[in-house]
Amino acid sequence: MNARRIVALLLKETRELVRDPVTLALAVVMPLVMLFLFGYAINMDVDELALGLYDQDNTPASRALVARFAGSPYFDIIEYRHNTRDLDRSLQQSRIRAGIVIPPGFGRALLRDQPAPVQVIVDGGYPMVAGLGMAYIDAVIAYFPAPRPEPVEMQTRVWYNPSLNSINFVIPGLFAVILMAFPPLLTTLAIVREKETGTVEQIYASPLRSAEYVLGKLLPYALVAFLEILMVILVGFVWFEIPIAGSLPLLFVASLVYVFTTVGIGLLVSSLARTQLAAMLITLIVTLMPSFLFSGFLFPIFTMPYSLQLYSRLFPAGYFMEVSRGILLKGLGVEAVLPNLLLLIGYTLVVFVFAVWRMKQKVA
Amino acid sequence: MGDISFAVRRGERVGVVGADGAGKTTLLQMLAGILDPSSGDCRVFGLDTRRESKIIAARIGYMSQGFTLYDRLSVDENLAFSARIRDVPQDQYLARRNSLLQMAGLTTFTQRPAGKLSGGMRKKLSLCTNLIHEPELLILDEPGLGVDPLSRRQLWEMLDRFQQRQVTSVIATSYMDEAMRCDRVVLLREGQVLADGTPGALLEQLRGRVFSVTFSTSPEPLDDVSVKLRRLQGMRAIQRLPDRLRCVTDADDFKQLAMRELPANTVVTPAEPQLEDLFVLDSRTEVEMDCVEPPAMGNGEQASRFPVEAAKLDADKDRNGVQTQNLSIRFGEFTAVDRINLTIERGELLALLGPNGAGKTTLIRAICGLTAIAEGGAVVGGEAVSLKNRNLRRQIGYMSQKFSLYLDMTAGENLAFFANLYGLSGNTARAAVAWASAVTGLTVPLRTMVGDLSGAIRQRLALAGSILHRPAVLFLDEPTSGIDPASRYRFWEVIRVLASQGMTVAVTTHYLDEAAYCDRLALMMNGRLIAHGSRDALIESLALSPDTDMETLFLTAVARADSASLSEGEG
Repeated sequence: MNARRIVALLLKETRELVRDPVTLALAVVMPLVMLFLFGYAINMDVDELALGLYDQDNTPASRALVARFAGSPYFDIIEYRHNTRDLDRSLQQSRIRAGIVIPPGFGRALLRDQPAPVQVIVDGGYPMVAGLGMAYIDAVIAYFPAPRPEPVEMQTRVWYNPSLNSINFVIPGLFAVILMAFPPLLTTLAIVREKETGTVEQIYASPLRSAEYVLGKLLPYALVAFLEILMVILVGFVWFEIPIAGSLPLLFVASLVYVFTTVGIGLLVSSLARTQLAAMLITLIVTLMPSFLFSGFLFPIFTMPYSLQLYSRLFPAGYFMEVSRGILLKGLGVEAVLPNLLLLIGYTLVVFVFAVWRMKQKVA
Repeated sequence: MGDISFAVRRGERVGVVGADGAGKTTLLQMLAGILDPSSGDCRVFGLDTRRESKIIAARIGYMSQGFTLYDRLSVDENLAFSARIRDVPQDQYLARRNSLLQMAGLTTFTQRPAGKLSGGMRKKLSLCTNLIHEPELLILDEPGLGVDPLSRRQLWEMLDRFQQRQVTSVIATSYMDEAMRCDRVVLLREGQVLADGTPGALLEQLRGRVFSVTFSTSPEPLDDVSVKLRRLQGMRAIQRLPDRLRCVTDADDFKQLAMRELPANTVVTPAEPQLEDLFVLDSRTEVEMDCVEPPAMGNGEQASRFPVEAAKLDADKDRNGVQTQNLSIRFGEFTAVDRINLTIERGELLALLGPNGAGKTTLIRAICGLTAIAEGGAVVGGEAVSLKNRNLRRQIGYMSQKFSLYLDMTAGENLAFFANLYGLSGNTARAAVAWASAVTGLTVPLRTMVGDLSGAIRQRLALAGSILHRPAVLFLDEPTSGIDPASRYRFWEVIRVLASQGMTVAVTTHYLDEAAYCDRLALMMNGRLIAHGSRDALIESLALSPDTDMETLFLTAVARADSASLSEGEG
């Protein structure tokens, strides 16, 4: 290892990067674009659920029930219908997500202390929304006209994300996804570009050794990646107001490890691809896609079949996601995130060793 | 590349010559330690290139054929990067940098990004980056490729100066004059050594094998003479130049044979042999002595199969090739082409020469109707040139240096595609393909994938593709670079035949050898036409000796124009 040669390469790489405004803009702007798009788009909370109502009873009791729905922030009564056919059509056309039919005799039954049936029709097309919507409707009806005493009382406490706000869950996950999206791409393109133009032959025929080449080539991109993650953490904290339950320095340390994982994967891809186009496609397939699907970002891994759970362990985004959510939401300390952090470090080392071994510095 | 044994002594300069695909680059990459031999050993400085390549790397300079510079880095930054990764001590760097930049004439451009240098300057800078650590062995892969003669001469001046320090060098080249400057030349053919020796010894093998055929009195039609020559026993190749034929033969009694068969006024004299003639003489070279005789346009079976096309080309007997009047092209403030008056007669071969950035490509693009003309005008095959004239395209054929062929399609599919582009379809397209393949001597089955074809066959295919619509004017851009000499001679023979049928041909090239095939030369510099006329006329006007080579002719004309523009500036 010769520090002077590494510095020479580092300097050259930084100059090229700084003088390429398009790539630089891509590195800075795209993560923010992704953060804002997904931060706003992925919302799994249900409020203002579109409701349709058909009150066949039209008694003070039925009107009181309707008023409960109208007064709740969770519902938005879009339509008051006067026959079931219209309600049907509204559901079909997705104008409403649920329909409530209060049958005749509802008020009378309540007065006589008899069971008073209410029909609830829910659009099951979006299972998550349907499930939450049913639960909310259930809660309103359970408390009507007054809370009924139950033999066993359930007292629920939600830990870590007490408001059950999905943004607090999405943003820390996005940190892992965004970092897996751009740094590997930038790194792999920087290396494969040299292969494509042919300048890499000059490098091969110089005393620069593989490890020196890898370090000099990666450090500028690792720095860019680290700036990216600082930027998205800052925006997540200031703009999306996500809570920070744990230690911020610990998150930075974990991010630094993860940054090397991501550029390492870029390095690995560049040792397999010959053209920039191929490098780009491989990168998207091995980084972006699995970090969406198999990291637990939106779809929990623990509900997947066992074979897919194993498969998901191949991709590092999930490890960092647990660390990032653990620190931010659960306030976990070093000893709690250490297993995942060690896994990431091991993963990164394996990737680097394999990539340096693959980098033979020969043209064929 | 198979079974090569080859040694270079310290301080020796070895030239490696061969067509594209002969294994030049492979050999050089092995010497540079970036390609491992599949079997056998490669040792540089006594070190094994497989395991000790990095120790070797510190002592060599390797300049590959493609990109060697970082476009976004300045001249200085490129040089500094190259020095640092090669462990040049800081205290020596500055002195070496200054002397190298001085030699390369780049002192005033140190801050310019490499991407904005001309082709010649890039090559010189690239050489500097490989000399900065004062290597013991210099490996250069076609340093003169795509470089104009002026820059090429400067490049060699740099090499000669460096050579004085007892540096060993191995240089791949397609220029015979570069090969002649080496102590030893290795001729490669299909991955094997064809010949290896000093240039003098190699040329000695060609004594009595190369002849020039001219006429003492009224010239005979070269077509007829060439047909007769082909039938002579032992004939290996005929190179057809504007005023004479140059033959390479196996026969010991060529002179007697020729005198017996050819008209009485024929003069056969021994011609100066070229290193490349060895390729032609090699017994493995396929000798194509069948005549290039395309089905005549406008009569017989072909005419009935393509009535419109044939009639059109033949009826328009007196239309000219290309004429430009005061043609100027500007890009903003910059005048790329400045008041050019150039006429290319029907059936004439014209070579358009000039340093990089002289405006050759811009002029051609304008004539093809691809660039807006600021002033003046041009007529091509009877069609006025403008961006909107759709008929213009039919008059123009273009064959680029890189042969724009689709490698994943068969030869036939490529030709059919080009025929469709020119609006030919059905039987007309099939007849056009058959005609073009016959003219160009395309003997491979049309079902072959282009990717599997050799460079020489691809060149024929590209030519066939560009003449399917029988254009009035054919533009060729370095058409024969990297092709073996026998195929090259054959190519120019085909071009001659096309010209004799009325096709006008314009060639842009840096290989002055290619210009030798043309009737007239047009020299451009800084957007101006500085000289034009036949080779003899130019030599006369520049007051040079009659046997001046093309390169000296070119360089003299450029130097003359340079001093003229200087004095014009003063006045």
